[in-house]
Amino acid sequence: MSEDRIDIGGIADEYVLGLLDAIEARQVETDMESDPDLKAAIAASRDRFLPLDDTAEPTVIGDDLWTRIDAALPVQGAAPIDVSRLTANDNRPGGWRATALAAMAAAVILAVALSVNLMRTIEPLVVAVLVNEAGDIQAIVEDFGNEKAAVRLLADFTVPQGKTIEVWTLPSPERGPVSLGLIDDARSVRLDGPALPKPHDSQLYELTLEQAGGSPTGRPTGLILAKGFAKITR
Amino acid sequence: MVTGAAPDDLTTALAACAKGDRTALRGIFDREAGRLVTIAERIVRRRDLAEEVVQESFIRIWTQAHQYQPDRGSARGWIYAIVRNRALNLLRDSKREYTVEDVELLRERDQVDHVMAAWHRLDRTSRLHDCLGALDDTKRRGILMAYIGGYSHGEIAGRLSIPLGTTKSWIRRGLSALRECMA
Repeated sequence: MSEDRIDIGGIADEYVLGLLDAIEARQVETDMESDPDLKAAIAASRDRFLPLDDTAEPTVIGDDLWTRIDAALPVQGAAPIDVSRLTANDNRPGGWRATALAAMAAAVILAVALSVNLMRTIEPLVVAVLVNEAGDIQAIVEDFGNEKAAVRLLADFTVPQGKTIEVWTLPSPERGPVSLGLIDDARSVRLDGPALPKPHDSQLYELTLEQAGGSPTGRPTGLILAKGFAKITR
Repeated sequence: MVTGAAPDDLTTALAACAKGDRTALRGIFDREAGRLVTIAERIVRRRDLAEEVVQESFIRIWTQAHQYQPDRGSARGWIYAIVRNRALNLLRDSKREYTVEDVELLRERDQVDHVMAAWHRLDRTSRLHDCLGALDDTKRRGILMAYIGGYSHGEIAGRLSIPLGTTKSWIRRGLSALRECMA
């Protein structure tokens, strides 16, 4: 019995520290729901390490973070279908991205078909299917790698007065997100972006809602409308 | 232990969130979000990603608030765990998204300083400080790198120049000693 307890304590600690891999961590999360000892060990471990979180100096954050959260909150006790869907997403590690990836896999064929229609003469180097948090396809970005990109919107976007949709990509983590341009009328557009390295497989593309004229900081600051990872066209 | 709010307040706030009270979530945000962004940034290393982590975490706090019970530990520990898990998941995802070298470069810079700074700022009157302090340097460092910086076993082994298997067993023994010390 005492051996078991030591084991449970060890697993709980490694889970809380983030040392388990994604599959093991998910297993622990499932197990704790039916194992009171494991649940108690995890609770104790979290509270044991919590003083380390108090060493973090609070940073000043703008109102826009709360605005984005508030805008995305579902109604509590909403229709049962919505609730179960939210739970399913949340139970997966990296829910948003996992959803996005799943939806993208299903959408690659669509993307390839569309890309043929969009630009018959020049082939894009990469195509990214952008989905919203629910995994619905919202837009397709084609990056031609010659400072030109095309964005095709596949959903209706409501752009409030004084706002615009901005298109971003992440060529590399060091460089951070780079703006490819603005979509002013929420319609499909060709963009003349900055000179960037050749787009690569799995490069991130993203649409955010920014103030008219584009993000004042040069980095995405607004609500993320859709995002997805590029695939190299073949 | 320094706490941003009495645990009871957060427990009450979570119960109110479960009933659909947005001002309760706003209350949690006002008290904790500044620190939570820093905690996420210590792991994901980019301010915009850290804010994204906190944004997604608050939506999760809202949708999961009805699941919080005192048997899951303190309300504060529960909230902080959601943010740490989100940050760790994002880190694991981005390792697939970027090349390993990109991530290494990104994380190499001043990360180890962050980890040691946190150790030096840890409340000296806390039991955790005493018990971590009683560990030998390598074990302490490994545990701190994992908790504060989100380092994996492999990354810790690399940084501390010790074999992976040794790293795992040292951390395991360190954690075990820590549990015993704090029991």
